[in-house]
Amino acid sequence: MEFRGFYYPVDLAINKEGRIYGLNRSHEGDPRGVRICMFDYDSNYFGAFGSVGEEDGQFTWATSIAIDREGLVYVSDEYTDRISIFDSEGNYLRKWGEHGDMPGQIDGPASMAFDNDDNLLISDHRNNRIQKFTKDGRYVSSFGKEGEGDGEFNLPWGVTVSSSGDLYVVDWRNDRIQRFTSDGEFKSKYCESGSDEGQLNRPASVAVDKSGHMYVADMGNDRVQVFDPDGGFVMTLEGQATVSPWAQEFLDASPTEASARYESDLRVALNARTGGTYEKRSHIEHLFWAPISVKLDLEGKIYVTDRNRHRVQVYRRV
Amino acid sequence: MRRAGFGATYQEIHENVSDGYDHTVDHLLDPNVSDGIQQDMLRRYHPDHSGGLGTAGMAFYWLHRMVQTQTPLREKVALFWHHVFATGYGKLAQGRVLMDQVEMFRQHGFGSLKTLLIELSRDPSMIIWLDNQDNHKGAINENYGRELLELFSMGVGNYSEDDIKACAQAFTGWTVSNAKYMKMRADNDSLWPYGRLNLHFEFDEDDHDGSEMTFLNETGVFNGEEVVDIICRQPATANFISRHMYNFFVADEPPVPQWPYREPRDPEAIQILSDAYFESGYNIAEMLRVMFKSEFFKSENVRSEKVKSPAELVAGVLRLTGESRKLTPKLQGDANLLGVMGQQLLNPPSVEGWHTGTEWLDTGNLVERINYAASKFADVNKPGIKEMIGRLAADAGGVATPETLVQDCLDQMGAISLSKTSMDALLNQASKTGKSEIGTDERETDEDILGELLRLVAATPDFQRC
Repeated sequence: MEFRGFYYPVDLAINKEGRIYGLNRSHEGDPRGVRICMFDYDSNYFGAFGSVGEEDGQFTWATSIAIDREGLVYVSDEYTDRISIFDSEGNYLRKWGEHGDMPGQIDGPASMAFDNDDNLLISDHRNNRIQKFTKDGRYVSSFGKEGEGDGEFNLPWGVTVSSSGDLYVVDWRNDRIQRFTSDGEFKSKYCESGSDEGQLNRPASVAVDKSGHMYVADMGNDRVQVFDPDGGFVMTLEGQATVSPWAQEFLDASPTEASARYESDLRVALNARTGGTYEKRSHIEHLFWAPISVKLDLEGKIYVTDRNRHRVQVYRRV
Repeated sequence: MRRAGFGATYQEIHENVSDGYDHTVDHLLDPNVSDGIQQDMLRRYHPDHSGGLGTAGMAFYWLHRMVQTQTPLREKVALFWHHVFATGYGKLAQGRVLMDQVEMFRQHGFGSLKTLLIELSRDPSMIIWLDNQDNHKGAINENYGRELLELFSMGVGNYSEDDIKACAQAFTGWTVSNAKYMKMRADNDSLWPYGRLNLHFEFDEDDHDGSEMTFLNETGVFNGEEVVDIICRQPATANFISRHMYNFFVADEPPVPQWPYREPRDPEAIQILSDAYFESGYNIAEMLRVMFKSEFFKSENVRSEKVKSPAELVAGVLRLTGESRKLTPKLQGDANLLGVMGQQLLNPPSVEGWHTGTEWLDTGNLVERINYAASKFADVNKPGIKEMIGRLAADAGGVATPETLVQDCLDQMGAISLSKTSMDALLNQASKTGKSEIGTDERETDEDILGELLRLVAATPDFQRC
């Protein structure tokens, strides 16, 4: 599908030139939206690549995207257990990945990050471990197993590498973040289950800035939480989306709908009525609804992929 | 279990038998039993389960619930109310708000009809569906008021045109926030800029006509809640809801438009249910308890007297084959087929809902249904089928007769009864089997023979009924 926009975006990656690759998962009922779209912070659009399927260059359950030092784009598919590699313009190059639970095999590559040696870390979530591969798919090492203890995981999701080289893993069903050395040795853990400040509910992603502050996509609570390097709670981001340039173009082209929109009050309060259903954020447009990925650019701007709202919200630390 | 849920496996039936019939009924009605649905997994892997852009993702989600739920009756009751209080995607243009209505049916569908009708009247998808956002003080829109009486509670012939107007007046001001924009987005099928915007209820007091009215021979100042209270006190409501319940859970009745002209097939059963309605204070769970424990429900006269709806057929097959025990994108294909078979979930053809019974079947979709059921049993490596074949082979032990083999297959498929014609066909197939072959180490032979028999059972006309 070749058009500008998102369709259940689940992750993004930013190259050194500032080009952003937005990974769209779409859904089984309408898989036309499966693709990677290329754009930048100023909303310039550069095209799209990829489609639904199991052939080369296609995806079924696209879940994560990462860029190596050479600018090549890696995309993981947690249904086919495949890592697909494209050049910076989206031309398909090659793939690797084999299903299984032996070292070097994968079962559900949910997230990826390049470490400081340009090796690829993969959150091998159904095997409850983190695996390290070279860029061409040669197995290097792994750590982790199923459980609730230190260094154990329950369907881990996001993985990221800090500037100091430490690995941060989003331990999804244990509702916490775990921190490891670059060799996979456990260092510390943060947070617990819940919806209060400092608690997490099925978090999806974490980004760590140069000062060690953590930005966690607390997807089950529909918010992003910020923690200091020791895991102390700093603040919560609920989402405050404005009308993006692409959205404004749509409204400019649809004056009748735009007029009705401007007459409306969309900033309704969460109350017993809006909170009576499972997906409260479905009612309130500017707030996060399933924030699924947090990434930082070279300037430290924070990009939150807001899955169910088909957009990216960008923050700057002040 | 076919009528109270979506069928049961051999193991589940044996557990129920061991627990006892009454205990099984009480367990099905127990509101404290968890449905076991892993919402977090659905939300992680299936974006449209929460985003609800259209019907496809929501149908996937609901079918998954029907197949996986550990509270099948609660899910069946949600389907029941979706049928009775039919609300369609065609006018709402979003799956999320419709699935929220179904969630409301899960929460309130076992409780008091009065509470349910009030929640229904506040339900934002119902408001848009029947244009109640256009029902204003001084300019009433009768749509919701009429259908509340005609299709959702009392049935045709039990109220007057003046009652319709009074009912509509009671619901003036019952609207949704930002109604003009939301209606426009629905009309335009607008996904932009940021996906669907869910609707929520708003009471506009300034637009509500609180003047005195006469409704069903009672005079006073009535808001929507008071009107619902009056409706629930009517014997016509008890009879109408009871007949719906009988049609959905016991045996097929003619289509609802014919009800004013055709007596129920079992008037005594309808009376029993109506009495239970009043004795329990309009409680749906208690009506169901009375129904499931009644002789009229257990009677041989109503065995296999219901044609399965497409949802019942597909969900039942998937529960038997076990192929959807783990989340898989392939379930979308099954969900899509529901529409092909005539029951697109969240999109009934009109406010009358679907015409059920033999009207589910025409020459086209009957073939579709039979082919679907038979083809699903073609792959003997599916976990549920493997388990069935394993048990069949163990039971046969090399000495099976065609009769015992066929009966065993029917038990494995959920204690199915067959007509003589179907039984003769299966016995004929089974008699071609070498008796000594089943249950030996000839595994491939077991799978071939037993798999074929299971497919034949699925292909019988009897399998289309419950």
